[in-house]
Amino acid sequence: MKQEDTTPEQPPPARLPLWANPRIGLVVLLIALIALFTTLRPAFLNTQLTLVPMQADISVYAVVGLSQLAVLSLGHMNMAVGRMAAMSAFASGLLHDRLDAPLILALAGGLAMGALLGALAGLIIAHTGVNSFVVTLALDFALIGLVSLLYATFTDGVAFNGLPAGMSALRTDTFADYCAGDVCGPEIPLLAPIALIAVLVVGLLFRWSRTGREVLMAGSNAKAAQLSGIPVRLRTIQAHALSGLLAGLAGFLLSANNGSFSAGVGDGFLLPSFLAPVLGGTLLVGGAVSVLGTVLGTAITQVIYKGLNLLQFQVDELKLYIGLVLLAALSLDRVRHVLAERRGVPA
Amino acid sequence: MRPFVRLGSTVGVLALVIAASACTKKEETPAGGASALTAAQVKVALVPGGAHPYFQPWKDAGGKAKTDFAFGDVTFNETAGWDQTKQNDVLTSLAAQGYNAFGIFGVAPESINSTFENLKKQGFHVGSLASCPAGDKNLADFCLSTDVQEAAYKAAKAAVEAMGGQGNLVHLTGNKVDSNTQRRIAGVSKAVDETGGKVKLLDTITDIDKDLQTAQKAVADLLAAKGSQVNAIVTTAYNPAVAAAGGVKQAKLPIKVIAIDDDPTIIAGIKAGEVAATVLQNPVGQAYVGSYALVKLSEGCTMATPGVIIDSGSFVVTTANVATYDADRQAKTDSLKSDFDSKYLTCAK
Repeated sequence: MKQEDTTPEQPPPARLPLWANPRIGLVVLLIALIALFTTLRPAFLNTQLTLVPMQADISVYAVVGLSQLAVLSLGHMNMAVGRMAAMSAFASGLLHDRLDAPLILALAGGLAMGALLGALAGLIIAHTGVNSFVVTLALDFALIGLVSLLYATFTDGVAFNGLPAGMSALRTDTFADYCAGDVCGPEIPLLAPIALIAVLVVGLLFRWSRTGREVLMAGSNAKAAQLSGIPVRLRTIQAHALSGLLAGLAGFLLSANNGSFSAGVGDGFLLPSFLAPVLGGTLLVGGAVSVLGTVLGTAITQVIYKGLNLLQFQVDELKLYIGLVLLAALSLDRVRHVLAERRGVPA
Repeated sequence: MRPFVRLGSTVGVLALVIAASACTKKEETPAGGASALTAAQVKVALVPGGAHPYFQPWKDAGGKAKTDFAFGDVTFNETAGWDQTKQNDVLTSLAAQGYNAFGIFGVAPESINSTFENLKKQGFHVGSLASCPAGDKNLADFCLSTDVQEAAYKAAKAAVEAMGGQGNLVHLTGNKVDSNTQRRIAGVSKAVDETGGKVKLLDTITDIDKDLQTAQKAVADLLAAKGSQVNAIVTTAYNPAVAAAGGVKQAKLPIKVIAIDDDPTIIAGIKAGEVAATVLQNPVGQAYVGSYALVKLSEGCTMATPGVIIDSGSFVVTTANVATYDADRQAKTDSLKSDFDSKYLTCAK
């Protein structure tokens, strides 16, 4: 998404051929993986046992990926993505448990908690200049303790009993359970549209909004952005707040998916949060993001995981093959990139 | 945004809202797979929360159950990686592969009921093995597990006895944000409270059951900092037990160690008098009797009390009974199986 200046002497940029588009590469890879796993295990296309749970997982982890993407846009990292999710889930759980808050209010409270924590991280980074890795890692450590303390204080264990009305339906129902006359919806879990809204909003933000473009400019070259009049500090805080908010949303979705607001929410978020955006073409150095790529990266990771699970690999083999398949996927993308460069096509 | 895009989106959203408002929820249809199967059609999956030495006996116990009860197949899958989301994924993948009865050690006791509910909705039979869901509700057909609070209480009582009824005790255990750990902490506290202040709980060290190295480091740190003040260590998790037995032996300190489970180093320590006692659980009984019950349920039996919680037994082993403990455990397994036949299961004649 970097905007490149073209001088009058340069020839107009060649139109990007389909094969050189990184997103198309990911789609092809995704289709190839689905075809491979379906051939090896036809149960891969089992709607209830494979496709529906996989869509729910993709919904959760796409939002986890977007949470990291929001700060990767600046060239920053959010090492506290899991714990921000845990704090948000705690806030939602507390609102429901103590104030009997309905689903929407519990969600709003959770999102506000995530955004606040993100903004706090952004504030510290913007005003002290300390590296985001260090600040968010320290925040993560602090929050591990805080989450544990809060659950010990406000619950009789490590989770809230009970969920707001409607939250169980988010876990168990698909649109196929809702019908108008004889016409029922598709076998898509109710969680999916929530993630889709997050994808659209983040996509539109970085593609069309002034704020989003300025965040990318700040990520590309903070000094140049500052000299051009972009409020870099404010954009840093905003990007981190967005990251926290999305981590909060991911925490809510996982709580819905797993059936409780518990202290363990977000434990496994850190690695997937980097994996999906990087696999999807987001740069670690900042200045360029790919929202669609992140969704495709998440889908590829989940398809690989599900496929290898169906092949019933044992624990060590599973990790080995996940690593190998991901390496192969990244290498193929690199080959495509080099080929594109040789033919003078920007990819 | 272009006006057409804006108009299109508005129309689209409106259409969705109108369509959604006309929708009603379809009535639930009863689970399809609940009909009785023959033993040969039953495929049992034993799924722990992740790789851990405690569960290794499940493999052989499952295999023995398959031979003894002549059911279709058994698999042992430890790829969940201590992540509830991954465990759910493993379970649905196994179901898609044709496994239809599940013995599960849930990663997150506070949310495992949702997983049980999902599986039961699809018509599968589920046993919660080695850990019961948190709270007072169990949505699995049954829970066959060590009563962890009772086992921790027994271990702490053994520690109090070994230290002569007074002094400082340290408790080493697993993941703090796990409701089973909270129950273990409560069991140890109860035993300490009963001494009326003669025994002081100096420290409770959590989150050290991840692997042996983590536990060894924690034990080394503890002994270096407070070794001279500690009279006994009670452990309620596998890796801390192994680490405490080894660490105290190496440091040559007069600390009484109460271990858990029967890792070879711990049994050797008891025989050599270096470990005061260990509290054994019954993983073989859980997998063996659990598989038996799942096969019976699949054949059409029902639980007399759905969701019943059954203690799979815990045994204090000291030098006095180190040679004979396995016979006690086998006897408990046999009695569990006959209890299922006589008390817990209702089968058509």
